[in-house]
Amino acid sequence: MTEQDIRDYSTAKGFHPQTLKRWLNWQADDASALAHLALPLKINENHLRDLMDWLEEIAVRDGQSIRQILARRLISESATDPRLGRSDRFKRIKEEIRRLRFPRLAAVEDAIRARIVDLKLYPKIRLSVPSGLEGGRLRIEFAAATRTEFKQLSTRLLEAGDKQKLGEIFDFLAGEIDEII
Amino acid sequence: MKSFRPDEIVVEQGSECSPIYRNLRRRLPDVPFRFVERTAHQDGNGSTAYDGFGAAKRKLYLTRHKGEFLKKCPGSDGQVCCNYFIVNFASNCPMDCSYCYLQEYLGDNPQLKVFSNVDDLIEETDQTLRKHRALFFRVGTGEITDSLALEPYTGMLGELIPYFVEQPNVLLELKTKSACVDSLLGIDSKRRVVAAWSMNPQRVIDWHEAGTASLSERLDAARRCQEAGYRLAFHFDPMIEYPGWEADYEEMIETVFANISWQSLSWLSLGVLRTTPSLKRVMRERFFGSAILSGEQVLCPDGKLRYFQPLRVVMYRKMVTWIRRIAPTVKIYLCMESKEVWQQVFGFAPSCEKELGNQISYFG
Repeated sequence: MTEQDIRDYSTAKGFHPQTLKRWLNWQADDASALAHLALPLKINENHLRDLMDWLEEIAVRDGQSIRQILARRLISESATDPRLGRSDRFKRIKEEIRRLRFPRLAAVEDAIRARIVDLKLYPKIRLSVPSGLEGGRLRIEFAAATRTEFKQLSTRLLEAGDKQKLGEIFDFLAGEIDEII
Repeated sequence: MKSFRPDEIVVEQGSECSPIYRNLRRRLPDVPFRFVERTAHQDGNGSTAYDGFGAAKRKLYLTRHKGEFLKKCPGSDGQVCCNYFIVNFASNCPMDCSYCYLQEYLGDNPQLKVFSNVDDLIEETDQTLRKHRALFFRVGTGEITDSLALEPYTGMLGELIPYFVEQPNVLLELKTKSACVDSLLGIDSKRRVVAAWSMNPQRVIDWHEAGTASLSERLDAARRCQEAGYRLAFHFDPMIEYPGWEADYEEMIETVFANISWQSLSWLSLGVLRTTPSLKRVMRERFFGSAILSGEQVLCPDGKLRYFQPLRVVMYRKMVTWIRRIAPTVKIYLCMESKEVWQQVFGFAPSCEKELGNQISYFG
């Protein structure tokens, strides 16, 4: 992709001049690598800025070029996965880059997600944690149509309360993460 | 510590009668003075090609402050508040920490200013303190400037401390990263002034706190203040996480307590690095490539970015462990943290800001 391609895309999308300037200030290889991703996926300015922030920060931290980061297998495979629509491809790529940017947060989130799966409450009872794990609370959601169903779900929740996996989730949220990170 | 020598001092009409002007004249005799009717507004970060914020630190304005001097510390939405008040006698700071929130907060008005109308400051403060004698005020001067970095030149505290120490319902905290304490040592603080230092390991000071005093200079200054009768406090804030941070921070704590008797400390505070998305934009421009931008910070409900909660809880717990090993009963509080984090770190959270404020005020 050429500088002109980037300029044209930026104009077509109505990007702020600062965003374009920042993009073009990158090494040509890096700018082109992002363009190879952004143009086919029609990434909007807010998402693009998130990606630029994260990519620059990963590059500084890992001593890699942005082109090298974007060439990683999971990202390049997601970008061309024929089973996914454009929107899903972008979601997956953004998530992969987020995981690279926040590796320890992602590891804790994975560990919590694994414990939630092990509790086998889904889909009747949904457990989730806040974005970025801020607040340190486990969210519990369920819906009941009858008193019987309510009692069944409550009983399952009470049983889950005694399971070690549930305790581990709260431990992770409370900072017991040395083994994970 | 880098000594401060501005390129120019701009004096607004009416400020040349103040004691601060006389001090500046005497203490910076080689610096050119320019007199203006009014100080013009100067933009800071409008242009990315020009570091307006950095440039603003090289010109000192002596001007009258037209707004309120004494304010309640805004704290941060939803976080435990320590019931702190602030008096602003200057704006901006001659030092240049890469994480400094003033880069964003004063982005549109970055002039390095010292306020000449000290009488107004004292009068306004006096009205509030007299009106509320039943309340105890903890007042700091280090919100939008460093409390001591300009003191060798302005002599501001030589004007303020004698007033504050006579008030029965106030404790004055001077928070600094400098070692500029010489002029304080001859003033009787009557145990009503807390000299406080922001502390970081020397490696962090070298990386991120340009123009500030070294760790050993800060400790030496603290020791001298202690000997002169000042109460002391340390703020381990902002704690910065990086590979090997544990060894550096643990060593720093050992160094601090090897030099300063912990029994003499009024309080310690802990806080992790806090930024905002817009501050990061400024930092990216002014300190491109700084590793501080790559920390695992997430957006919190108050709009600030902090290390994700379990990670910062780990950091706080380790710091508390290292501190408690040497100083088992020293008062420690968290700055701008939620009740959940307090609970996870200490096993309790203050019930209200009054409780925390009172605990801190009457300690030591």
